[in-house]
Amino acid sequence: MSWLRRVTARFPTVVLARRNLSRASARTTLAVVAIVIGVVAIGTIGAGGEAFKQDQMEAYEGFGGTATVSPVYYQNDDGDIVGGISDKDVSRMRQVTSGATVHPVIQRWDTVVRTSSGETSPSAQVKGLAALGTFYEAQSGSIPDSWRQQVVVGSRFADNNDVETGDQLTVTINGSFERTFRVAAVLEPQGFADQLQADRSVFLPFDRLSQLEDSESEYGSVIVRVDPQTASIDEAAESLETEFNTRRRTIAVSEVQEQRERFGQTFEMINQFLIGVGSISLLVAAVTIANTMLMTAIEREREIGVMRAVGYPKRAVVSLLLAEATILGLVGAAIGVPLALGIGMGLNQFLVGDPLAFTAAGLRYVGLGALFGVLTSLFAGVYPAWKSANKRPVEALE
Amino acid sequence: MTWETSDSEGAKPTETARGDRPGDAAGGGDLILRGEDVTKEYQTGTQTVRALKGIDFGIAPSDFVAIVGPSGSGKSTLLNLLGLLDVPTDGAVSLRGQDVSTFSDADRTRKRKRAIGFVFQSFYLIPTLTALENVEMPRMLDKTPVKTRERAKTLLRRVGLGDRLDHYPDELSGGQKQRVAIARSLINDPALLLADEPTGNLDRDTGDEILALFDELRAEEDVAIVTVTHDAYVAEEADRVVNLVDGVIEDAGETAADGGHGA
Repeated sequence: MSWLRRVTARFPTVVLARRNLSRASARTTLAVVAIVIGVVAIGTIGAGGEAFKQDQMEAYEGFGGTATVSPVYYQNDDGDIVGGISDKDVSRMRQVTSGATVHPVIQRWDTVVRTSSGETSPSAQVKGLAALGTFYEAQSGSIPDSWRQQVVVGSRFADNNDVETGDQLTVTINGSFERTFRVAAVLEPQGFADQLQADRSVFLPFDRLSQLEDSESEYGSVIVRVDPQTASIDEAAESLETEFNTRRRTIAVSEVQEQRERFGQTFEMINQFLIGVGSISLLVAAVTIANTMLMTAIEREREIGVMRAVGYPKRAVVSLLLAEATILGLVGAAIGVPLALGIGMGLNQFLVGDPLAFTAAGLRYVGLGALFGVLTSLFAGVYPAWKSANKRPVEALE
Repeated sequence: MTWETSDSEGAKPTETARGDRPGDAAGGGDLILRGEDVTKEYQTGTQTVRALKGIDFGIAPSDFVAIVGPSGSGKSTLLNLLGLLDVPTDGAVSLRGQDVSTFSDADRTRKRKRAIGFVFQSFYLIPTLTALENVEMPRMLDKTPVKTRERAKTLLRRVGLGDRLDHYPDELSGGQKQRVAIARSLINDPALLLADEPTGNLDRDTGDEILALFDELRAEEDVAIVTVTHDAYVAEEADRVVNLVDGVIEDAGETAADGGHGA
């Protein structure tokens, strides 16, 4: 007796089940296809959603332990809009958040950016931020530490205007300041969750902007950063709130980690909803499997009657039919998982730029799809199996 | 061996019939199966059909009994009761002295497996299993694959199919299929073989081969055979012919020259 037979003889139910499935191959194939579709739907939506989330979350990468501070504006008694963050405010921030680095961000709205070919880009946001390199990474070129003659541009700005590292850009501000800069670096794409919308920005040297004569030393926002190892951003945020918002709310402090979590949660919810929709395909698969198994049970009524007659207990008949249903699920999952992973790799390549950039959560969804596929099949087999086993052998044989 | 219609057709209350039988278990000790005042009723819609109207029977080792009768006479019902596939409405059927009505469904399944083999008119082989695997089928769940395989091979050689072990049912002739089915029925060394029209789908020569095989089994292994048949020549071969008409036994006579094995 061969070793193979020794092994298979240990699991006679599985052997019988597999043989039975091979009998109606078209039906079996269709049932498997239904499961494959379900597994692929859940796995792909899950893994793809995770890839998309990961892509968007990259924007938070440089912002660990940071909070953004933005001004709150009011209308005063004279009807003027007042508020904003001044140099003095920035100094106060530095004082109350000892140990934190405070990076004011200058944003100018009265700018024109012209490329060397003469095209102007009205949507470009001109900003100034010191220590830019600690927040972002460059996809080409490198972000200089201190700079006066160069600019760094966001990925979307670069794409839209055909700008590459080394190109010249001319920036005009308020009609008076005009200067040509060399592009030192193009930043990596950040996605819509980015704090500063760096994708659409042109970063000028901070000192250039702050030293403009018309500058009223007003900042669009301030980034406060602590070293998460030694200090807490919560404390820094609290100090800022106490200092600036006790009498009247003059600044809004938002911790990036919180934003990130909120964003992640929202995304998780959308993803789960989509997976829920995808699961409907497994429900359809369950109906298909139940139907397949019922047909099998009816077709083999006599045969099962004989098995009962020659001494197979009900339990054995139930096991046999459940084994058949489960095999359908296992085969469906075995085909569905590689398919889902393949499609997931495509999505990863497209969204994150690395086909193997699966997250644990993404892989978990693929696993979940496979598990649901098998469980669905098993569950769908219960009623046909029960019905079949409880048929009295006499009735089955007549 | 007795086959009689009960005097009081089903009038006897069940409890009496089952109640005082302690002595019978010992008395019928060498009987494989014994039935007393066996009545079977079916509910079809609002009507109650009495398929068996109080019959007595006993089957001893190596008996060969043929049950004949027109269709609807209760033959299949009787065979089902003999095969522990069903329980009587009234009266008692006992297997080696044990009342089958006291068995649970699982018990009956277990006893059936050990004591009774089945052969059907349409063979009912499993098409996805080879001849050898079909014979093994009743014992496939027993976790004794080596022993089972040896026994199955022996049985197939015995029925003359030693060279057809790995053939699938659709590669076998009708007679060969029935021989596989007989080998299957013998895998658990049953004391009783129930054959429902075993020659019904076979030509005369093949049918003769099957009957010869039955004779061998009785002679060599003391297997009792009860068959339901329409074929007169099968009935002729039997020790005893039970003529069932309308749920009662019309006349029970010994046909074969070798006489009955009295019970």
